[in-house]
Amino acid sequence: MGWRIRVVHETGFKYSSPVLETYNEVRLTPRSDQHQNVIVSRVETVPATRSYRYEDYWGTQVTAFDLHAPHTELLVTGTSVVETGDDSEPLRETDWAELASEHIRDRYTEMLEFTDYVSRDPELVRIAKGIRKDKEPADAVLAACELVRDTMTYQSGTTGVSTSATEAWQTGKGVCQDYAHLTLVLLREMGIPARYVSGYLLPRKDVAVGDTVSGQSHAWIEARTGGWWGFDPTNGIPIGQRHVWVAVGRDYADVSPLKGIYSGGTAEALDVAVDMTRLA
Amino acid sequence: MTPVSRAVDRRPARTRTEKEPGPESNGAGHEGGSALFDGYLEPDRPNPDAFDEMFNADGSVRAPYRQLHDAIAPTAAADLSARSEALDRAYMDQGITFSLSGKERPFPLDIVPRVISASEWSRLQRGIVQRVKALEAFLADVYNDAQIVRDGVLPRRLITSCEHFKRSAHLLNPPNGVRIHVAGIDLVRDQEGTFRVLEDNLRNPSGVSYVMENRRTMARVFPDLFTRQRVRAVGDYSTHLLHALRAAAAPNVADPNVVVLTPGVYNSAYFEHSLLARQMGVELVEGRDLFCRDNLVYMRTTEGEQRVDVVYRRIDDDFLDPLQFKPTSVLGVAGIMNAARAGNVVIANAVGNGVGDDKLVYTYVPQMIKYYLDEKPIIPNVTTLRCWLDGEREEVLDRLHELVIKPVEGSGGYGILFGPNCSAKELQKARKAIRDDPRGWIAQPVVQLSTVPTKVDDRLVPRHVDLRPFAVNDGEDVFVLPGGLTRVALPKGSLVVNSSQGGGSKDTWVLAASRAPEAERELGERGIASKAPVSGPAAEQGRELTVDQQQQQQQQGRDA
Repeated sequence: MGWRIRVVHETGFKYSSPVLETYNEVRLTPRSDQHQNVIVSRVETVPATRSYRYEDYWGTQVTAFDLHAPHTELLVTGTSVVETGDDSEPLRETDWAELASEHIRDRYTEMLEFTDYVSRDPELVRIAKGIRKDKEPADAVLAACELVRDTMTYQSGTTGVSTSATEAWQTGKGVCQDYAHLTLVLLREMGIPARYVSGYLLPRKDVAVGDTVSGQSHAWIEARTGGWWGFDPTNGIPIGQRHVWVAVGRDYADVSPLKGIYSGGTAEALDVAVDMTRLA
Repeated sequence: MTPVSRAVDRRPARTRTEKEPGPESNGAGHEGGSALFDGYLEPDRPNPDAFDEMFNADGSVRAPYRQLHDAIAPTAAADLSARSEALDRAYMDQGITFSLSGKERPFPLDIVPRVISASEWSRLQRGIVQRVKALEAFLADVYNDAQIVRDGVLPRRLITSCEHFKRSAHLLNPPNGVRIHVAGIDLVRDQEGTFRVLEDNLRNPSGVSYVMENRRTMARVFPDLFTRQRVRAVGDYSTHLLHALRAAAAPNVADPNVVVLTPGVYNSAYFEHSLLARQMGVELVEGRDLFCRDNLVYMRTTEGEQRVDVVYRRIDDDFLDPLQFKPTSVLGVAGIMNAARAGNVVIANAVGNGVGDDKLVYTYVPQMIKYYLDEKPIIPNVTTLRCWLDGEREEVLDRLHELVIKPVEGSGGYGILFGPNCSAKELQKARKAIRDDPRGWIAQPVVQLSTVPTKVDDRLVPRHVDLRPFAVNDGEDVFVLPGGLTRVALPKGSLVVNSSQGGGSKDTWVLAASRAPEAERELGERGIASKAPVSGPAAEQGRELTVDQQQQQQQQGRDA
């Protein structure tokens, strides 16, 4: 059985001098699918704004707003209650020949291409070849996740929001964003359509109903081997009752939770806080 | 046409009539007059296979050009030069210039017009309308559920790999469905004289101001030519454009406020932006004059904020909305994409149209015409090899020395390689470029563009031309301005006609049909006539005469 989880995600900016004009888009609203059921979700800002919602090219709910009153701090809060599902299972309904077919390669072309984040690297090309050998596509996905998890050291502060997979690979350290990008490089190199997922992870398995814990803004991957299924390379676990997903895309750039422009003094990101409460 | 510009324009014409004798007095009984065309069809001219639009291979004059030839041939070289200088002065005085590699210079207008017969034009017009309709259907499809891809007619990769495919325009459907408010379809004429589409321009096609200004200037300097033939008018373009822009606004807006958004005075087409705004009677604005608040677009005016309903923008997609595209752009309007998505403003032309005029997508337009309209293309494409298809790429690499290689994203003639003119080293470089980025290149056989007599020094010599007709879509009809911009490659033998590559232009004459007006009306602009009074059949049938021109003619009569 899945859980019912409340996620409260706070983010925003602080400015050194009053800002008179700002335009922003946030992607903080989870969507319902076979893995999760969204019961309620809202986005609020301080100072208050009139927001506008639309669904972007990737199917993500976007909340857009602008503010024209002088302010030195902008706080955005996304609050959602989501029922999560059981652990995802690898799908084994394809083989390498089908993945290599023109039909599949064209249909999932965007999830097979390399980007600034999911960057090609000669060493990773060799590694991908090695993983692929003698394995079914689904097992190759699991092996790629395992290799990234085994090779990399999780350490925040070593990489930034714009670090590419190659850069993270060279440092050997990174956070979930880097783990996901690296795994995507390996999967796309093998010819498996793969996409970036942003969402949340409730960090503890033993949390009691009613308890609130400090959660994480999280990232993992989904691969298509007959159908889409997810895996969390950072923790080496399937996507399960503790995961809430918000957006999918080619890489981080397609799903960034908060982006905007403003005129005025220098901006500093506020500390991101994610509180997760198990409700049932 | 405002009084200000008329005052400026009249000056060169008056100067000429005072100093120079008119052509009638000069040409009468002049024995050496035909010297202008001496050696025109000499066998050792460059590209002798090219189709000459005035002369048949045997030296006789083709029908559409007969009147024009008879008028020009007796003219003395000195008189022609005097008139040519008058043309140049007229442009300098009006400040109509373009920038060539960063330097402002006048856009040379050649004195010999390019003539298109009524029947040729009627086919071209139908072909352009067909193309615009197919491309509209394509853009609507691509930015919704891409049925053409699901049906396997086009590969998805073709679209997603296009630099100008804008994901932020997905599901952004304008109120009247029009995305291509203005199209410029570039045509060339091959060795057989067949018109072919060279490329489509669906983003910000420029040059229509030259069409109108060329005509105005020609009418002042050569009023006598216009009395011999019925040339269809081009002066009502802005009326059609304004009508289409107002028709694009949401139906709930009773009196839509249209503005022209320009990057500013340093843009090479700024003259055109200001001319169109002036003729339409709408505001010419820069990005800083507009702002969005709660998804509505406002203009800052001395009387406070004013709502804007339609933005005819002459700014590239990437600079239009710093929230969606380049965050550093100061030319655009932050938030305008979401305002358009919410239906509160219409962006013309629509964002993301570049996916329809990509040079690789171009090769699939015949399939689009079949798929969306179930018709055969009226104007064929130029044969094109696609480097991203393995078989065609091999052929390109084998025949590189005889092909023209074009970058898919290039414009203004930059980056084009003429295989026959390339050294072995350049060919090797091109091979590598193609192998590294097959999606980035197409190849075409060298098309010997048709030639039209063009004044060089004291003689008329063949120079290669192309044609960019302009189409305006108001959602019900596609209006094609009769003629378009004829660009001419001035260097001897050159096949590159872009103004950015040192080209000039010609006035383009579409002859009115000699038959009954009904024939014209059938091709005509149903529905516009009532709303756009200038475009009635009378104006289409009439000679290119305005009050100004009549006054000049009378002066001319006295001189003669």
